[in-house]
Amino acid sequence: MSGAFATAMDALERSGETPAGFCRPFLDVLPVSGASVSTVGELLGSETLSASDELAARLDELQFDLGEGPCWDAMATGRPVLEPDVRGRPLAAWPAFSAAIIHADISSIFAFPLAVGPLRMGAVDLYSIAPVELDRRQARQADAMAAVVGRHVLRQALNAVEHDGDDTGNAYSRRLIHQATGVVLAQLDLSADDARLVIQGYAFAASQSMKEVAQDILDGRLNFSRHNGGIEASE
Amino acid sequence: MTELTREDRLLQTFASLADTLVDDYDVVDLLQMLVDTCSDLLDTTAAGILLADATGTLDVVASTSEAGRLVEMMQLSAEAGPCVESFVTGRVVSVPDIGESPEEWSLFRESALAQGFASVHAVPLRLRETTIGTLNLLRDTVGELDPQDQTAARAFADVATIGILHERSIRETALLAEQLQGALNSRIVIEQAKGVVAHTHGVPIDEAFALIRTYARSHRLGISQVAARIVDRSLTLDT
Repeated sequence: MSGAFATAMDALERSGETPAGFCRPFLDVLPVSGASVSTVGELLGSETLSASDELAARLDELQFDLGEGPCWDAMATGRPVLEPDVRGRPLAAWPAFSAAIIHADISSIFAFPLAVGPLRMGAVDLYSIAPVELDRRQARQADAMAAVVGRHVLRQALNAVEHDGDDTGNAYSRRLIHQATGVVLAQLDLSADDARLVIQGYAFAASQSMKEVAQDILDGRLNFSRHNGGIEASE
Repeated sequence: MTELTREDRLLQTFASLADTLVDDYDVVDLLQMLVDTCSDLLDTTAAGILLADATGTLDVVASTSEAGRLVEMMQLSAEAGPCVESFVTGRVVSVPDIGESPEEWSLFRESALAQGFASVHAVPLRLRETTIGTLNLLRDTVGELDPQDQTAARAFADVATIGILHERSIRETALLAEQLQGALNSRIVIEQAKGVVAHTHGVPIDEAFALIRTYARSHRLGISQVAARIVDRSLTLDT
């Protein structure tokens, strides 16, 4: 049980540079038929990074085109979306998406947010041909796995755009960034690496330099907090 | 009760520095002790030690005050000012009147003058031909540093160099770079720890450093060690 989960987490941790490896671990741990990892929304745009099969890829594409569906909801709420009986109970929330998949060979669909701290950038979508439910432990495991994928995705995206990280700043601004990293890791109970990633991602999203964001954090103008299980930024 | 002369106190300081170097020690602690001694015993208002990373960029590792403005001013000096001049040339750079310093140093000059500093004395930290950083002494009066203080500053710079490099015989440049990076990395963790404590204790960043330092002292631990435990959340300072 937990052995498979631990192995899957390891595999995900190591798959940092290769999105192709993102899906398999979900299939190894959970009773689902297919998985896909996509970014959606403004932060990183809408794109499927990895899909275990054609149908998984098509489900994501449909959601991009229609602008609705479980991955959008997971992204918007920052919480998992669990729909074990997607055909029997077409959700009023997704009229177009539900209609589009009515003939597809799918019974259940689940989505887990890709997020780092307060930054939400997409979702892991899972589907099952046979009707299936995820129990609480499985949902927690999927959420934890999606969190690992979320860090990889954000890190890669930031590397790709070469957003001004610490290289453009001088030593003094780096010092501020280290201090702000300490504040954020205490606010959100994250590792120092993740806290720094939150600052970097936030700076990217807000089109600010890391130094500016760090200064706002140190001056108390920007606060991150855990709130009802989710994470929020308040200015 | 006998009044200790400055010479007595200098001697005591060097004796305790020598003790420190024999044992296991925290390099940031040692450098902090050095800059504090400079401002206590020499005719100096503030002092700071900067080290170069692998790319040659100088970074503050210890300063008498953690006040942001002082640190920032030293960083400006490390970009264009006596600090980088001393680092690049490997020589002592004395600026008896900051107001008269070169135009290229204007950012440093304005920041220093605004904080009430009038003169600066920068001493390279040198190991044979390699310069690894600088010791900077700032004063609120114009003029050269007194010759005895200059000699003492030189000796402090040498102790700092030895302290950073731990081992007496470092022949490999790679190892040298590694040890320098080690000292700079502990500084990163200290900055992060300051952020954690500032948040958990609701105090300004400068005060956070004082809390960490006090804890380290009273528990006979190194600052870097305490900082690392604060950052990995295995230690919470009492409020």
